[in-house]
Amino acid sequence: MRVDADRLLIDSPHERQIIRFPWWVLLLASLLAVLFQIYVPATFRFLNFLEMPLLLVVYFPLMWRRQILGTTFGCALGLFQDTLSHHPIGMFGIAKTLVGYFTATVGMRFEVDHWAVRFLLVLFFFSFHRVFYWVLSNSVLHIPLELDLGRMAISGLLNAVVGIFLFNILDRTRESA
Amino acid sequence: MREFPRNFGKVFGSGAVFAREDRRGVDFRLSLFQYAVFAVFLFLIAGFWQLQIVQADAYAARANDNHIKSLPILAPRGKILDRERRVIVDNRSSFSVILSREGVQEGALRSIAEGLGVDASELLARLNRFSKRARYEPIIVKEQLNSGEVAFVEAHRRMPNYPDMELIREQRRLYPSTGIAAHLIGYVGEVSERELDTLEFARYSEGDVIGKSGVERTHNETLMGVDGKRQVVVDSAGNHRYRIGEKPAVNGKDLMLTIDLDLQVVAELAMDGKRGAVVALDPRNGEVLALVSRPTYDANRLSGRIRAEDWREIVNNPFNPLLNRGIQAQLAPGSTFKPIIAIAGLEEGLIDDNFRVSCSGGASFYGRYFKCHKKGGHGSVNLHTAMAQSCDVFFYTVGNMLGIDKIAKYAEMAGFGSKTGIDLPHEASGTVPSTRWKMENYRQKWYAGETISVAIGQGALTVSPIQLAYAMGGLANGGVWEEPHVVKSDTGKLEPHKANWNPDHIKSVVSGLYAVVNEGGTGIRARIPGIPVCGKTGTAQVASNDLVAATKDPDLYKDNAWFFGFAPCDHPEIVVATLFESGEHGNLAAPIVRDVIKAYFDKKNRGEISRRQPARVQTASSHPAPVALPAAPATPAEEVDGRPDEAQP
Amino acid sequence: METLLTRYRGVLVLVLILAAQLVMLGVQVRNQQDIRLVRVWAISAVTPLAMILDGAKSAVTDAVEGYVDLRSARKDNVALKSQVDTLRRQNEFLKAELATADRADRLLEFKQRIPSRTIAARIIGTNAAPSSQVVFVDRGASDGLVSGMAVINGTGVVGRVLDAYPNTAQVMLITDPSFAMGVISQKGRVVGTLRGLGQRRCMVDYVESHLVVEKDEWFYSSGDDRVFPRGLPIGPVVSVAQGNAFQDIYVEPAAMQRGLDEVLIVLEAVHQTVPPVATEAIPPLAPAPEKTLEELPEVSMGETSATPPAEGAAGANAAGVPPGSNATGTATPAQTHTPPARSPLATDADRLLDRYRRIGQSQNHPFGGGSVGTPPPDFNRAPAPPGAGTAATDATTTEPAVAGPAVTGTAATGTGTTGATLPGVRGTGAPAAAPAGASANTTIRSTPAPSPAAPVKAAPVKTAAPNQR
Repeated sequence: MRVDADRLLIDSPHERQIIRFPWWVLLLASLLAVLFQIYVPATFRFLNFLEMPLLLVVYFPLMWRRQILGTTFGCALGLFQDTLSHHPIGMFGIAKTLVGYFTATVGMRFEVDHWAVRFLLVLFFFSFHRVFYWVLSNSVLHIPLELDLGRMAISGLLNAVVGIFLFNILDRTRESA
Repeated sequence: MREFPRNFGKVFGSGAVFAREDRRGVDFRLSLFQYAVFAVFLFLIAGFWQLQIVQADAYAARANDNHIKSLPILAPRGKILDRERRVIVDNRSSFSVILSREGVQEGALRSIAEGLGVDASELLARLNRFSKRARYEPIIVKEQLNSGEVAFVEAHRRMPNYPDMELIREQRRLYPSTGIAAHLIGYVGEVSERELDTLEFARYSEGDVIGKSGVERTHNETLMGVDGKRQVVVDSAGNHRYRIGEKPAVNGKDLMLTIDLDLQVVAELAMDGKRGAVVALDPRNGEVLALVSRPTYDANRLSGRIRAEDWREIVNNPFNPLLNRGIQAQLAPGSTFKPIIAIAGLEEGLIDDNFRVSCSGGASFYGRYFKCHKKGGHGSVNLHTAMAQSCDVFFYTVGNMLGIDKIAKYAEMAGFGSKTGIDLPHEASGTVPSTRWKMENYRQKWYAGETISVAIGQGALTVSPIQLAYAMGGLANGGVWEEPHVVKSDTGKLEPHKANWNPDHIKSVVSGLYAVVNEGGTGIRARIPGIPVCGKTGTAQVASNDLVAATKDPDLYKDNAWFFGFAPCDHPEIVVATLFESGEHGNLAAPIVRDVIKAYFDKKNRGEISRRQPARVQTASSHPAPVALPAAPATPAEEVDGRPDEAQP
Repeated sequence: METLLTRYRGVLVLVLILAAQLVMLGVQVRNQQDIRLVRVWAISAVTPLAMILDGAKSAVTDAVEGYVDLRSARKDNVALKSQVDTLRRQNEFLKAELATADRADRLLEFKQRIPSRTIAARIIGTNAAPSSQVVFVDRGASDGLVSGMAVINGTGVVGRVLDAYPNTAQVMLITDPSFAMGVISQKGRVVGTLRGLGQRRCMVDYVESHLVVEKDEWFYSSGDDRVFPRGLPIGPVVSVAQGNAFQDIYVEPAAMQRGLDEVLIVLEAVHQTVPPVATEAIPPLAPAPEKTLEELPEVSMGETSATPPAEGAAGANAAGVPPGSNATGTATPAQTHTPPARSPLATDADRLLDRYRRIGQSQNHPFGGGSVGTPPPDFNRAPAPPGAGTAATDATTTEPAVAGPAVTGTAATGTGTTGATLPGVRGTGAPAAAPAGASANTTIRSTPAPSPAAPVKAAPVKTAAPNQR
């Protein structure tokens, strides 16, 4: 395990290469993610555990390893999602901004291509996102939401699994640096 | 773009690459620092949020108190139950809707008016009337919503374009709709400023709902719970934003009465369409079994906010429905007073069972001719017949022999002239005239001629129905008067007062009362086959004959009819007194008493009363039975307490 | 330029962005205002894509399903589905002998009539929030949608329009925590307010504890809220419990049990939100479906347009008696389903008074009156049945309090005289009546007032009635 753990951390600055993606990939992926979010669960209710926008907000900043970019991307995607909801605009924005920032920061320290890292990060940020949204909703909007931790854990695991596959697909769209 | 670690290296060192281990440690510390900074930021942001967004309301609210709403959580009052725990007074939930006047559009307002079943223009007018008040101050649009209206409010309260609506829940008293026992129970209402200044209600505060009359008032503390409180901060739109604090309510306790609903409703039915009162007591322990006063009122209408027209209707009723005639009517008792004259005569040794008076339809006393109610006269009568036939001349004679002060003495021993002490507010004490009374009140000496009227229950003598029931029940009970009460928990707590009367004398009087009902006397309408009922009719003039002749509305001055009855005669378990105002003759009041007594014994036959033990009649007896009647053979006298105690001071 | 500023640029940007959003949120929260324009843009931007996707999905589905005309195949499918529903219901009806076949026909008829006043819409998206109970439909303000309109489907109430955008609208589902509507129970005509809870189940609130609501009975819209027309099925009661002040009644909305696809948006009902109140009774909210109900033969049985609460359920039945509900024949619903006559606005005192009054009536006894020689009443005899048939239950409810012990008491003393007359008469001179063949347990409820004239001797002592009670 020690060896593994060693391999998960980045050791030297030159390992932290910056990975770029074509702009259209970004745009299309975001749009599809949000559309998926509002459209697919309407037909397939069982898919409503998926948080596609969140997966993107974990993936891209993780790859970019740039805080500002990650923060902005999280913010933009979150706000877009907000506009399609019926709660005040900014709830997802704030939650995803934070996720974007943290994933970018984390990306600077971890071997982001490793599936285990991705799995754990998605699991962690999914939970973070849910809890943070819950806190926001309760404290800011005074809308008491229920926080079902068991459900959250299961959804987190499922999202992490989906995330690994999705990230593999997205890996192919990278522009070689 | 520079990364943190690189910068770090430049700032803190040579710019060369750190040793691997070192750099890791520094990185780690740096990350810690970064996260700490972030945490502080978050903390600051949270604080900023609290101050600027959330607390801003609270601060503004404190500055302007209207923004903190203190919503009472009203504690439900206890229920009022009869002696068998049947519910006489219940509670029900009631909703009012309040409307915020901010963002009110006329269209929405019309829709609200329709949904709530109120007139749209009226609602508009109401809103305009409140236009001077602060806009965020919500106004009550409608009270006592039905379920449909509640659904309407719930469905529309958060709709866009609709002003904010809020439901307020209240506990309302639910009284018998038919006015059953209304006077006994009373009603509730908001405590008035004047009441707050009195000792009785000083501990309450404005807005508290308290008992205004009846047991609701006398047992207010038992019935009333302690209201809770919920403080909420309200935003400009009237929305409850959050709760500051909550204190739960403590419910009031149920109150069990001595009233027997079976008897109560029979008495109510018997008084339907009449004016007057019925009081039924258990003379063995003073429990009030029924208390009816007519005309009655719907207490539901008097509780809470009283509608002006309801109030006007009640206040303008010439017969004053709010008067509890059972304990407040003070009227001449007429012939129902005669048993007192009889017992006084016997006790004073002035007459005995064989004492006879000749009645020729009237007699002259002190230069004035007093008529008997029977024109031809009753002939020669003794006490038994005189009682049965209600011969006035006999009692004129005995009364004259006694003199007013002796009459007063015995009347007061029986409880007339003072409050019985029933646990209801505003009991009247009645009047027992005497030389001293006249001197004190009129600064005049008593004229012997006045005694003659008092001897047949007229003149200055006034009694209330409860006094009559109490006095006669105690007399029949062997001279032991148990204080009447309507609350079950008081049974056995109150000391009776006793008169040291000779049981034989009491027996003589009771035997006369038996004859009234069962031997062709005036009270034959009270006869119940199989049940020995004793009683006495009374017909009392309301005004002098001259006045009656002069008035245009003779109905107003019709004679009042009285009747009291008890049964079984030897050991009465129930005594019922009734006042039938403008009933013309006492024998018309008798069926009222009969029905109540019949209901009692029917119930007893069903086995529902048998287990009922009198509270304080089991003391060892040193006297023989006070009465032994031919028709109803007396049972051994173990139930009568005739100990030679001191009579009422 | 290696200043602190550049070094902490990342954090700075984060803080700035967060602050900006917080301020934005703060503005919205404090002013209770929505940044509507932005939403309209976003929704308008997304809707066409969603519709394309939806179209694509339909295309794929249709392609798989066959070579026929795509649209009509879909429509057929929908129609068939609903027909299956109807037939299934009809089947259950028949099985349970609850209704006749032509009623099922009328149900179909009813369903076919609904669209004439409604507009069909497809659900094209859920809300982006994870716990959301709000969906998007493909109709908007341009189709005449206004916020507040009722949304239903074949199985019942779905929700109501929250906000209408040009080509799309948000629909708040019945399960949303801010959803509320007026409902009425099928059997007891118990009226309450249904609220969403954010779960599968909804709660029916404000039902006082003395009212009877049974598990598995259905709730229907009551029309009281003036949003939903009366008589739409909601769903069956899944649990009833006595709550603090009101009962805790949970209902599972039928419309939500299967995935939502097509819905109907009630256009006219909303235009009638405030109908001119012509009658004193609560006016039916939506003339549209209500009228349809009226035209149905079995509904018109005693049903007027004023729709007093007692009759609305006939309409409810028409809207589809849910499977499993034990609807009785149309002739007797009023009687079978009348709630116990414990009027909420009466106490024991009122009921007892009524009982004694009836006892007096049955013996022609004028309370507190009567000429010399009239016998006093016998209060132990059964009262006359109350005038109205519905109040029959009243007698039963109060009966045990008064008559019950009487019976046992007599049984003990062995002087029981007759079956119908409650003993306590004690075989004295009091006349007793004994309608022969009065059945044991229903005696009190169903026998006519004992005639005072009936001779005592007619009493067959064999009757075991009193002892069985």
